[in-house]
Amino acid sequence: MIVRDRFRGLFPKYFLALFMAVAIPLAVNGGIEAWFGYRDQRAQLDQLLGVQASSAAAEIHNFIFDITTQLGWLVQQPWTDEPDEQRRTDAQRLLRQAPAIASLTLIDNKGHERLYVSRVGLNRIESRTDRSTDPALVGARANRIWFSDVSYNRGSEPYLTVAVVGNRQAAGAVIAEVNLKLIWDVISAIKVGQTGIAFVLDEPGRLIAHPDISLVLRGAEASTSQPFRSLREAIGPGVGFATSQDGRGRMVAASAAAVAGPDWTVVVEQPLSEAYAPIYASLWRTAVLLAVGTIFAGLLAYGLAHRMTEPIKLLEEGTERIGAGSFEHRISIQTGDEFQRLADSFNRMAGELALAQQHQERIAKLKRFLAPQVADLVDRAGDDSVLDGRRTDVVVVFCDLRGFTAFSAGVTPEEVMGVLSDYYDVLGRVIAQFEATLISFSGDGLMVLVNAPVPVEQPALRAVDLAIEMQKRVQGLIVGWRSRGYQVGFGVGLAEGSAIVGRIGYEDRLDYTAIGSAVNLAARLCASAADREILVDAVIAANVRGARSLNDMGNRQIKGFDEAIPVFGIPFDAH
Amino acid sequence: MRRRDVLMLMSAAAAWTTSARAQKPSMPVIGYLCPESPELFGSRLRAFHQGLREAGFVEGRNVAIEYEWAHGQYARLPALAAELVARNVDVVVAPGGAPVALAVKGTGTTSTIIFEMGGDPVQLGVVDSLPRPGANITGVSSLSVDVSPKRLELMHELLPAATTLAVAVNPTSPTANSQVQKLHSAAETLGVQLRVLNASKEEEFESVFSTVAGEAANGIVFTSDPYFAFRSRRLADLAIKYGLPAITQTRDFPIAGGLMSYGGDFVQSHRRAGIYAGRVLKGEKPADLPVQLVTKVELVINLKTAKLLGREFSASVISGADEVIE
Repeated sequence: MIVRDRFRGLFPKYFLALFMAVAIPLAVNGGIEAWFGYRDQRAQLDQLLGVQASSAAAEIHNFIFDITTQLGWLVQQPWTDEPDEQRRTDAQRLLRQAPAIASLTLIDNKGHERLYVSRVGLNRIESRTDRSTDPALVGARANRIWFSDVSYNRGSEPYLTVAVVGNRQAAGAVIAEVNLKLIWDVISAIKVGQTGIAFVLDEPGRLIAHPDISLVLRGAEASTSQPFRSLREAIGPGVGFATSQDGRGRMVAASAAAVAGPDWTVVVEQPLSEAYAPIYASLWRTAVLLAVGTIFAGLLAYGLAHRMTEPIKLLEEGTERIGAGSFEHRISIQTGDEFQRLADSFNRMAGELALAQQHQERIAKLKRFLAPQVADLVDRAGDDSVLDGRRTDVVVVFCDLRGFTAFSAGVTPEEVMGVLSDYYDVLGRVIAQFEATLISFSGDGLMVLVNAPVPVEQPALRAVDLAIEMQKRVQGLIVGWRSRGYQVGFGVGLAEGSAIVGRIGYEDRLDYTAIGSAVNLAARLCASAADREILVDAVIAANVRGARSLNDMGNRQIKGFDEAIPVFGIPFDAH
Repeated sequence: MRRRDVLMLMSAAAAWTTSARAQKPSMPVIGYLCPESPELFGSRLRAFHQGLREAGFVEGRNVAIEYEWAHGQYARLPALAAELVARNVDVVVAPGGAPVALAVKGTGTTSTIIFEMGGDPVQLGVVDSLPRPGANITGVSSLSVDVSPKRLELMHELLPAATTLAVAVNPTSPTANSQVQKLHSAAETLGVQLRVLNASKEEEFESVFSTVAGEAANGIVFTSDPYFAFRSRRLADLAIKYGLPAITQTRDFPIAGGLMSYGGDFVQSHRRAGIYAGRVLKGEKPADLPVQLVTKVELVINLKTAKLLGREFSASVISGADEVIE
């Protein structure tokens, strides 16, 4: 139950708090990193692809430019009418050196074909056919170097016709058929990142170079070139790279550059998955860190919740037991933190509760025979040795009702109990008022001690005043009772003398009592006192003489005493 | 004792890996139909393996190859092709000329066929067109057949005074007629007469040389034909024996002591056939693989033989030669 509470209570709270503490900075950091990474990567990619595109364009340009340079060597010398064996040798050498050139046609300054050498077809030497209207020748004469449109031999291999004129008209011109399939060596060597590629499109958008030669060999087909053309269109004439789908359906970042001369476009493309790999890696890292953080937060939350709930459980059990009254129970928590302090204070509280309860019990006991304030006093002293047995000088006060037995026989129990209740009520208040010690009461009789267990000043005087007050009050009651026809009176007897005082009884039934002749004397004096009488012995009389008025009532024979004893009455004014 | 144990363990391990490999169902199988014997075909086979390796396949590791050797008996090719196709191979490779490709195509197999030949596969009816070869067949052509007239031209240039030049033809070759036709038209352009001699068996070679030696023609142009190509050593020996200048399609001939050769680079063509076989094994459709033409046509001349024959190459021929053997 407590375990389940842990997961309902502290665990999710801790988990949420720790998860937030771990996840939010991580996620924010990851997001920021990814965002800036993305921007940086885009900028870098833009730059990189731009450089790659222009460098690829330069390489393709070099491929063509190398050929035109080599062709230029064939148009250095002026033509004569004689067959030119040297040119033929040069042309053959060029065919060997430039594998891309499939055939060469040399034309003299008059526009006549003087030499045709080919790798496949038969050579023609000095055929002197008029080629002056050949568009290649016308174009080359206008611009020095002329490029034809790309044509596809038998619908497969791309060819380009290049015409170059010498810097003197007398040097004539050379027309070469160039097999563009050989750009493959150049284009396949261009690496854009790890898996990026470059390809070349001619002006109408036909594929003329690609690392996959089988695509180039179908470059004349619109369906083959279409995806490449769309990629070029996606890039557009503007600067910067574009993201689009390539022929294989993968998303790529692509940039383009123009090849000077034949009006081609080189496009470099890199798969986005590779281009943005650092960002993906960073996002992936963040995700992994988040997952690790979550697990960490969970473990930490569990650990913390566990550390919290263990002492809480002990505290719960402890408070339950203390609440149930086991004040001796102690909560043992040794965590060295607030829990331990809390447990210690619980323990202290339990100890104090135990003390308070003992105090309450003792007070309750003391109050049975001591006046409340005396009982408190004794208790505050924290020491009830005052109740131990000892011999001391005490004043014993006895009182009882006259004619009570006869009265009680003639009325209902309710009336008897009502009378007793009023009677003790009055007496109790007087005893408390004079801080006397109630020793016992039975029926209508009552015994009170003064000067024990707590000594008082002038005990005799106080006892006399106590007796007077008792008489006044009870007589007040008696007026009421008589009006109802109850014939009762009230008498008091006091005696002072040495007595043994102390607790008697067993376990919880303890009483305080006094043993000595004064007790007997007081009891006898009370018994001999008539209604409205307070009888005291000679000791008291001596002690209060001068302070209170006394009536010497002479010696009386008192039961239990061998000789007659001088008895004094204390007069009192009833009102 | 210990060494023997180790050896036993090793052989056991080898046996286990071999059987494991044999059981591996994923390894694709190439059927390789060769018109010649392994010895004669060694250089071509090496080039093919190199191409396969470039496409990511190595025999015995991730591809198995089943071979059929015709040992020069081209008539057996259709039967061997049928046998190979019956073994349900993934790709059939038909190298070494049009007869092999036609033999495999003739079986009507639905497996992919990769050919390597010197002829024009469109003209021979092997494929529909170069960029779109057809359903299950594609390959590489080395242009050797197309350049037969160039061989005549080279011979004519070496022997400008000759009015008649001999042409050796293998009448069983599917390209024989078209080559002879082209040669005739070239001869007309060059202004020479042709003496066409047939040879379809090795035993007939000598009679070709002896006939030429005994007649007015004093140079022999060999048409493009695998049967001739793979017997370059024999042809070179005969050419030396009869003191006749001759030209064939393959560099093997001048290397073996013949005078010169002009034809497609077989290393390139066989290598590309290997690459195509690998690409098909990787799942590409043959219909998406256009027929490739070899870009390199090479002229190889042997100056030693020229000296021996008392002939001299012109400066333009020497400067145009890709390789000069001195």
